[in-house]
Amino acid sequence: MWRLNKVRHKAAGRHGDSLEELKLKRREHERALRQARRDRQLVSKRLLLNEDEDQPEVTMDTNSGEQDVVSLFHKLQQTGSEREARLKALSKALRDPSAQLAFIKQENSMHLLVGFLTGSDATCRLQAVRCLHELSHSPHTNVAPACLPATPYLLTYLSGQSTKFTELCLYTLGNLCPESDVVKEKLLAQGIIPALANCIENQRHNLAVVEAVGFTLSQLLQAKDAAEKIIPMVLASSLPSHLLSVLTPDPDFGLAPAIECAWCLHYLTCSTEDNRVLLAHGALLKCSSLLVSLGAAVAEGNKEEGMELLICPLLRCVGNLLSSCPVEDLSTQVGDVHIVVALCALLQAYLQTQPALARESAWVLNNLTAYSSALCSALLTFNLVPGLIQLLPFSQGINTMILRALANIAHKKKEFCVQLAHLGLLSALCATLKMADQEMVTLSMDVLFMLVVSGPQVAEEFVRQGGLSLLEAIQYNSKGDIRRRATHLLEHHLLSYSVVKTYLLNL
Amino acid sequence: MQQPESVRPLTTERHHPTGDTHELRPRETEQGNPFTFTPQLIHLHKDHELFEDGDITRHMYLQDLYISEADDKPTLSVSEFACHISGCSAVFSTLEEYEHHYNSLHRHVCCSCRRSLPSARLLDIHIQEWHDSLFAILAQRQDMYQCLVEGCGQKFRTSKLRKDHLIRLHKYPPDFRFDKTKKDRGTRETKRQQQKDTAMEVADDVCESEGVCEVMCDVLSNQLEHGESMETHVSQEEARMAKSDSTEEHADLSAAAHGAGNTSTEATKPRYSYRVPTSVCFGHGSVRGFRGRRGRRK
Repeated sequence: MWRLNKVRHKAAGRHGDSLEELKLKRREHERALRQARRDRQLVSKRLLLNEDEDQPEVTMDTNSGEQDVVSLFHKLQQTGSEREARLKALSKALRDPSAQLAFIKQENSMHLLVGFLTGSDATCRLQAVRCLHELSHSPHTNVAPACLPATPYLLTYLSGQSTKFTELCLYTLGNLCPESDVVKEKLLAQGIIPALANCIENQRHNLAVVEAVGFTLSQLLQAKDAAEKIIPMVLASSLPSHLLSVLTPDPDFGLAPAIECAWCLHYLTCSTEDNRVLLAHGALLKCSSLLVSLGAAVAEGNKEEGMELLICPLLRCVGNLLSSCPVEDLSTQVGDVHIVVALCALLQAYLQTQPALARESAWVLNNLTAYSSALCSALLTFNLVPGLIQLLPFSQGINTMILRALANIAHKKKEFCVQLAHLGLLSALCATLKMADQEMVTLSMDVLFMLVVSGPQVAEEFVRQGGLSLLEAIQYNSKGDIRRRATHLLEHHLLSYSVVKTYLLNL
Repeated sequence: MQQPESVRPLTTERHHPTGDTHELRPRETEQGNPFTFTPQLIHLHKDHELFEDGDITRHMYLQDLYISEADDKPTLSVSEFACHISGCSAVFSTLEEYEHHYNSLHRHVCCSCRRSLPSARLLDIHIQEWHDSLFAILAQRQDMYQCLVEGCGQKFRTSKLRKDHLIRLHKYPPDFRFDKTKKDRGTRETKRQQQKDTAMEVADDVCESEGVCEVMCDVLSNQLEHGESMETHVSQEEARMAKSDSTEEHADLSAAAHGAGNTSTEATKPRYSYRVPTSVCFGHGSVRGFRGRRGRRK
């Protein structure tokens, strides 16, 4: 289980790092992660700490660590009564990466561990799996593959009942998954997917185990070629329905299991454009109703720590599931039209602190409004449009998505256009037409067209706001397709006698 | 793009999504309708850049580096504004700055010679005096040159007389920028501005705004003030003109020089590849370069 608070408080006093140094380290780490993502190499491992540990402590003295490991290994090869203690010491020593290397270089070291793993002494089993877990977390690329002989047993133990033991098995497997294609293929062949499905089914009540299953599955699903081999197998299993059933956060245990399962669902939905299986399981309904309650909580100011870790994958699931959902099923699949309220609440709440999350919310809003007149109408009915219009100054993809959503509304009915104009979209467009972003300018022209042709009142209002000279200026835009739009509007819709006459009469 | 009265039958238009953006079959457009927006379902794949920040947060969490309050507030950025007039690449951080730029430099621009004037009235006077052949004819017999000061109402037979009036009565500087005569025109051809839009045949000769000329322009025009002969002036000007567009001006100048009101109709011919009514000039011309730009558009 992952305790978010502790990391923050303790981290400050760690190894004498000042807060500034810590910030620097985090920023560097973040940069490394971004680069890894660009290289399609974004992979993480998790280390399950011992009960007595608060944070990963690594001994600084590597030499003694290596020596310890070697001597412990030799001692363990002899029969004796101190095996448990020695195994425990070994697991501690194996926290150090160079000790890990030293260990696997020893001949028969893995054989020894597997022996303990499958032996009759339960405590030794636990310590042995702890050793394997440390090894699986190694940053060295040749350490984890050395653990392969243990995997069939780890998988077998997933159907066991010991929580701590099962957790360790799961996280070990989860760390091994992304290592290499060889490892993945072995695990798949050894039946990791059915094993995970059984585990989550049998341990449904044990949220720590559920979280671990979610993590391990997410590691599998992130593989580059997951869509071809892994995802079809997962979709065919009972995993999707279990993942969905875990999504609602448990008030006592917290968000962690829901977070893992939501990310699994995200990897499932984004890797393919045919999400019929998940839709049939009610995934869209579940995710969108969860967003409704989360959005309501956020709107009330109940921002639980780490909530965005759950909101993010849920948004993505809804967004991508929508793009696979047949239009006629939309109302049953989405259910509550208050989803638009939730999305707008998320947009506003995270705009300043997590603009990327706001952008993803805007994306989902676009997908919701693209084909649904009911949802467009809801945005108007719940008076959410003025708030959206106020977001049009914000760049990095936020305003373009929001303008798309507003365009979707305008596209449905002339009555909607009139309402949008009345709510201030016309004057907002007079500003967005002058933005540097060409996509905004083009979109603005198209929206303006829809508004202006919706009715004479809108056209007149636009002329009253100085629209004619604005468009005349746009006729000299450097882009040809923009010029043509401006000219078309002027010649066919605005410079007609009735419009100008009305304008002049009203002066 | 048609605007239906009621919700259109969406099911018939739905395509099975393929690729990242789900694009509908473009609708039957009206004749020449250039608007292309249709609602689109957007499917984002795992590695899409829109997902980057969220993925990073996720992995920071997995690696026990997550903190709920960010170290530094991520910067929420506001869109910039840019002048899109062909040839202008000014960029602004606020709408006010943009409006000021536009109103100062692009609003009252002569369609024919692309000069920018500071007000509608001065633009009207400019067009009348420079590009109206009828004016040239009438000016031979009547006082046609209006005083530039609003409300004064006086008219003069020549531009020199008007200039004297402006200096003596209204205390204007002798080198008032908005009272250049046609003769002065050629000397202020400064550096060619970059042609941004090849579709428009822009004669990038004169400075775009008389109001913000560089010092060099003043120097040249001052030289003229000291009574150079027409012929010299014309040949100087000829030397400076390199483009073929110049032949129009040349024709104008020689016409003026010979006192014939035979300003070629070429002067009022629209110079854009798309139609602008010749009789109507809204005052907004395309502008090549400019001064006072804040930054280049990226």
